[in-house]
Formats: sequence, structure tokens, C-alpha cells
Amino acid sequence: MDVDPFDDLGSETFRLTCPGETLTSSQAFMRGHGTYVDNEEVVASVAGIIERVNKLVTVRALRTRYNPEVGDLVIGRITEVQPRRWKVDANSRQDAVLMLSSVNLPGGVQRRKLESDELQMRNFFEEGDLLVAEVQAFFSDGAMSLHTRSLKYGKLRNGQLVTVPPILVRRLKSHFYSLPSGVDLILGLNGYIWVSKHVKDSEQEGEEGFDAEAVYSNQNDDIDAATRTAISRVTNIIRILATHSVPLTDVVLLEAYEWAIEQEVDVKDLLQEDVSDALVAAVTARS
Amino acid sequence: MAFKTLSKSEKAYIQSSLQASSSFRSDGRALQDYRTVALETGVVPLANGSARINIGKGSDEGGGTEILAAAKLEVEDVEHGDGVEGGRVSCSVSCSPSAYPFASSGTLDDLQHDYTSLVHSALSHPSLRPANLSILRGKKSWLLSLDLVVLSDCGNVYDALFMAARAAMWDTKVPRTRSVEYRASKNRTGGGTGDMEVDDEQQSGLDTRQVKAATDFELEDYWDEGEPLAGRETWPVCITLNLLPRLHFLDATSSEEAAIPHRLLLAYSFASRSTPTLQGMQLLGPGEVDLVHIKALIQEGEKYASDLYTSLNTKLKDEDIRRTDKARLRFAAVR
Repeated sequence: MDVDPFDDLGSETFRLTCPGETLTSSQAFMRGHGTYVDNEEVVASVAGIIERVNKLVTVRALRTRYNPEVGDLVIGRITEVQPRRWKVDANSRQDAVLMLSSVNLPGGVQRRKLESDELQMRNFFEEGDLLVAEVQAFFSDGAMSLHTRSLKYGKLRNGQLVTVPPILVRRLKSHFYSLPSGVDLILGLNGYIWVSKHVKDSEQEGEEGFDAEAVYSNQNDDIDAATRTAISRVTNIIRILATHSVPLTDVVLLEAYEWAIEQEVDVKDLLQEDVSDALVAAVTARS
Repeated sequence: MAFKTLSKSEKAYIQSSLQASSSFRSDGRALQDYRTVALETGVVPLANGSARINIGKGSDEGGGTEILAAAKLEVEDVEHGDGVEGGRVSCSVSCSPSAYPFASSGTLDDLQHDYTSLVHSALSHPSLRPANLSILRGKKSWLLSLDLVVLSDCGNVYDALFMAARAAMWDTKVPRTRSVEYRASKNRTGGGTGDMEVDDEQQSGLDTRQVKAATDFELEDYWDEGEPLAGRETWPVCITLNLLPRLHFLDATSSEEAAIPHRLLLAYSFASRSTPTLQGMQLLGPGEVDLVHIKALIQEGEKYASDLYTSLNTKLKDEDIRRTDKARLRFAAVR
């Protein structure tokens, strides 16, 4: 029986590769994305993780744009308003599309879309607006179609955006978190992360205090200094973890936040090299 | 010039944070804090002087504002060519398309032109012209062309451009030259006496002493690349004051730049340490700012510029030491 060159590549272990490295023979395996054939050998063309499905060998690049899948939660920014649709930048290779028919309009979920809605699309989303949405489907050219047909989705306010490489955001049970310091987090799978002021339980969607009229509001609530500090601290922690290529999960973020509070580090000092190294060391040691 | 579009709520968030009673910036800095600045000189081997600068690496998405500057000396003919008596300085700025992925080529050209005109008008001013750019009076002079490339933009490009330009000029070495004159040998005209004159002093027709009637020059062969540009202390530093009503702040990130209405650029030159001169000034943004307000800002700006000047000089001297003394030690250690 011949020896499988991928024997050391069990389903559990990761193997990293870099461009130019010979992976296997092209006789026995098929080349997939991130590889090419040279001299009857499959050679990696990007730096990343080797993956194999049966006889197909692919390399998933570490630094890449976001590869959408149906059902993913993403954060996007409107780039263009077109007839009955918005173009959305979602860190993917092409701009995503948000159809007017796949958003919730104010005044009830079941409301019909009227011609007047088409004429006032900028009242819902205009250029530059940030929104959280779900990937609904793909068009034939590979562009993704988004939808915001849930009260959890929609326009974002009361906070700031931070960008990380998409590979660092894992698929999780929920991408909405609230940290104990009054900060809400939305981890978009496309590497856009929204850090904002916590929404009280009584005002969450579906509860009594939920303000349906505020869904498309551009007005921020009053945010006190403590919350602003907490938001900035979380943002800086995310930046540090991203520069050190630490995958982001709720546990990691919570631990990093607690570490920063314990050590009484000032928000701006977090970005200093020695402090950030210590933070990453502390977080990776614990988990 | 903001290519980054922000939503209204993001803008409002940034503005209200800044205008809160205890002003607060998105990354926790105080209003007058700079991000970390990394600077290295001598990065381009073929240039006469070069520098690379990065503001805020690792703290912002995209790895900070990065600029590469390189100065190259060319010989120009003053009589027949474009040369100017005493030499001249010419600057150009180009932007890498990857620095502005959303900009069309047209807007990129406009932006490059804006940067170029600002940097060129400030640095090529006759009051700043180095004294040793002349080679032969009335005949040959050096043209110093300074090229800057914006590799990535995460805010505060103007300050970074001037810092990079200053570092590259600081690093520039002007090759030593010697004038050359052709003089025909006089002994030859005397006519023969019949005897062999063997001991005639063999003199070269080319005299390399400093002479007024010099026609050309040659480069001295010496172990270093030449002498530093004269007056390298005087190259200006630029400080950008980002203005919101009742307050101003320094070193804005690109999102902060998108959220503010005005920016005031001030370029200061420190010929002597105590009396800085304002070499350039520009107000960016729509609308107008009160003149009284501007006067106060200029005074503040002078203070910041002086701090920036001091720290930049310290860093540049460190770089000089790194590249001469330490390199020599390392070389000795290897041997």
C-alpha cells in the first residue's frame, strides 16, 4: 500500500505553507484554489492553510478578502444607491447588493413596498451608512445578496467600526455580544466589527421598549464618558489582537478586557508595544 | 479630500466625543498626542538621500500612513539648459493606487497634484535653497529632485510628507567636485634649438586647481558620498491643526479627518532655534474661519511645530549615528 503524503495532515492538525512550496504530486491529487502545477507537482501559490477534500488540494490564504457563504453575518457600508437596490461594500471581492425588497421598512414587517418607497430610498440607507445584514444568496457573477429581514439587523449607530483581517473572525453561535462594561459587539464575518453602546434588555427588539421608528435613525443616543472609554478600550484591544493575529472570540475578548482593567492600563497606552505584547501573552496563555 | 465616507452617526459620534467636557478620541489619545512615528533614513541605495516614515503602524487598520522619500542630484547646465545659478530644488509627490483603493485615476491625479504643489511651493522657496548646490559659477549646478511616494494613507498625510521630505534632505550628501581647466602648454612654442630637451616637465594639459576660468568639473574620489546638504537644519516641518469649533487636535486618523470640517496646515522652518519662520500655510475645507481665531491657532501651531522639530532632530541624529558609528562597529565585529 502506498504512503499517503498527507498522512500527517489529519483532519485536526493544521499545516501552514508558503508560496513555492511543493505540496504533492499532481498525478495523485488535483490542484485547487491557491495552487498550481509545475513539473507534475502541486505547488502552493499563496501563504496559508492546506486543506484537502478527497483528492482535491487547496490552500486557504491567510491574507485574503472575505469569502462569503450563505447565512453569514456581515457588516457593510453603503457605497451607492441604485434603482430598487443598494450597493454595499462588505470587504469582499465585489460589492454586495441589498435589494429594497429584502429590507424591513418602518411600519411593520408585512408592509408592502410602494413606489413611494423607491423614491425615498435615501431615507432608509444613504451613502456611507453602516448596516448589519445576513448573506441571503449569490448572483450568477458571485456577488452576494444581503437581507436585513430581522429586527436584529439594520442600520448601526452609537459606536465605532474597527476592521480586522476576515480570517480572524470565526463562525460562532452568535455574533452579537455584550461585554459587562456596557459595550455591545457585532463581529461581522467579513472582518468588520462594530463596537457600540449597550442596548438595554427592555429596549431590545421584540420587547416593549423597542423603538421601531429608530431603526433608520441617524441620531446617536447620549453616551456618557465611561461608555466612550469602554468602547475605545475594546476597539484598541481588537486592534492589538488583530495585529498579533489572534483569532477573536467572545472568551478571548472578555479575558483581554479584564486583563486591561486589572492592570489598570490607560486606553492609549494599550497600543504601546510592550503593553500590547503583554496583553497578547496573557490572553494566549490563559486560553 | 476624505475618501473615507462615514455615516452620519459615525461622524456625530466622533465629533461629540471630541467636544465632550473631557475630550476623548477613538483610540484614547489626548487631543495633542501623536501616534507612534517610525522613521528610517538611507533606505534607497541609489538615491543621494532617502527616508521612509510610518505613522501609527499597527494601531490602525492598514498599518498606518506610510511615505517613502528619495532625493537625487542631477547636473544641470546653467548657460544652455534649465539650470539656475546656485542650483534648485524640485519636488513631486505620487500616490500609490493601493493607498486610495476607492479613488478613480482622475481623483488620484488631482490629489497628487495637490500634494505636489504644496510640498514643492514650501520646499523650493529661494529662502531655503542650500548653499552648496552650485558646481561652477555660471556654468553648472545641481538640481535636487525630491520624490515622495504615499504608500498608504491612514490620516495626517501632510505632516508625514514634510517629515519624510525633511529626513531625506537631512540624509542627502552632495558629491565633492573640483573645477577643471584646459591650459595649453607654453613651452612648446619656443622653437627647436637642436638639442634634445628631454627634461621638459611633463605637465598635464588639465589643471585641476580652483580656477576662475574653469570649464568643467570632476568628482573627487573620496570614501564617503560627499558633504551633507548645507543648511539641513532649516527644512520646514508641517503641523496640521484639525479644527472643530472651539477646539483643535493633531494627527487625525482618516476617520477623524472625514468627520471634521477644516484643517489648517502650518509649515515652520527653524533657521535659528528661537525664531521659527512660517514658510507655508493652507486652510483646507469648505467655508471660512475667523481671522482672530487663525491668529491664536498660529501661535499654538508654532509650539507644536517646535516640539515636533526637536523630536525629529533627535531621531535624525540617532539615525546618523546608527548608520555611521554603529555600522562601523558591526563591520569591525564581523571581521
